[in-house]
Amino acid sequence: MTAPLTTEPLFTFGPVSISAPVVVTWALMAFLLAGSVLATRRLSLKPSTLQAALEMVVETIDGQIRDIMQAEPGPYRAFIGTLFIYILLANWSSLMPGVEPPTAHLETDAALALLVFLAVILFGIRANGPLGYLKSFAAPTVLMIPLNLVETITRSLSLVVRLFGNVMSGVFVIGIVLSLAGLFVPIPLMALDLLTGAVQAYIFAVLAAVFIAGTISEGRPHAAENLQTSERKTP
Amino acid sequence: MTIDWWTLGFQTVNVLILIWLLGRFFFKPLSRMIAERKEAAADMLAEAEAAHRNAEEALEGIAATRAGFAEEREALLRKARGEAETLRQEMLEAAKAEAEKRLAAAETEIAHKAGAERAALQAEAARLAVEIAQRLLARLHGAKAMEVFLDDLLKAVAALPSAERRTIAANGAHFTAVSSAPLDQQEQTRCRDRLAEILGRQPAIEFQSDPSLIAGLELKGEHLTVENSWRADLETIRRELGHERNP
Repeated sequence: MTAPLTTEPLFTFGPVSISAPVVVTWALMAFLLAGSVLATRRLSLKPSTLQAALEMVVETIDGQIRDIMQAEPGPYRAFIGTLFIYILLANWSSLMPGVEPPTAHLETDAALALLVFLAVILFGIRANGPLGYLKSFAAPTVLMIPLNLVETITRSLSLVVRLFGNVMSGVFVIGIVLSLAGLFVPIPLMALDLLTGAVQAYIFAVLAAVFIAGTISEGRPHAAENLQTSERKTP
Repeated sequence: MTIDWWTLGFQTVNVLILIWLLGRFFFKPLSRMIAERKEAAADMLAEAEAAHRNAEEALEGIAATRAGFAEEREALLRKARGEAETLRQEMLEAAKAEAEKRLAAAETEIAHKAGAERAALQAEAARLAVEIAQRLLARLHGAKAMEVFLDDLLKAVAALPSAERRTIAANGAHFTAVSSAPLDQQEQTRCRDRLAEILGRQPAIEFQSDPSLIAGLELKGEHLTVENSWRADLETIRRELGHERNP
């Protein structure tokens, strides 16, 4: 078993090193792309069972975005939805023998948090303009600028640490138990790890939506209050 | 703890690509299909609403038309009843007039027929009476019958005023005595003698016979005609019956 805080390259192309999380991510991307193409090539107004299930997933994501962001989900659906689906599948990929979840590595979680950080800036500028986005750091008073700047960084770091800590710890515990006990002993822990993975995917996606909503909702006091309330409830 | 920057970069790019891929091949088709279904459902609801509205309008129109039909029906019925009543009255009056006319015509015709039948019956009765009398009197020819007729003839002449008798019996007076059967010499003599007694002189009498008298003895002169026969009597009766028939 490798150390959880280090990422060993599987192979290298010159100076470029390819690690296992990247390969697993590529495999997940191929799986999701193939599944998406196959599932959506024959869509109709009278849906099949698979189409109905997929539409339910999309509508659930839309509903969550609409509830959290108080906005139409169209511009944010792909980003929030992809975060949720990718993190969920990445967390559950630990069920495959010999596969370690990409989210159990700090680089993947940092990449996801970096994307959320950039998305917050992008959506904030698109919603309020560059000046409006910068002014949001001075809300409610100018004195809050340092704290808001720190908060922008720390909340992204919290995303990284939360996801990494939960997934890595699960993988680590299962590995330890598997090395100490029999083959079937870690199964309850694996089931718990599935639940943890789903919850963490949901939390990461919801928090991303909350952060984006907090940026685009400047000038909308009610939405801001709702967003703060939602963030306080988040574990 | 170390960060593999290559992995961080790859994962960032990978997730960005995955966001685009899922957005292009998963979320976009499904969300478009959801939107199309919602739009189709909204269109169907709108069509159903429009159809419902049209149906309600059609029902209102039908109700109004029915109400109009009912009013028109009532008006037509009233008009038809009035026309039927008028026509009935006219037909009744026409029928009544026609019946009265036909009744009058029938009464007239019946009266005419009854009169004609009565006249025919009377004529037939008279004819039968004459025939009966002729048959009965055919058996009464004889001296006694002639004696009776002679007496009646003389009584008729004697009933004339004396001045008129003298005029009748003036000189040269010539009489014709017509009997139903020829008189023998004795009867002619007695007739001449008895007439001479009444007239006061012997008259010149020529005796003739005429069976059409049925029975009787008639006397005809220049100033005198005494019809003393059953033919004359029956003719008198027949005329009287004719007078009764045509008052």
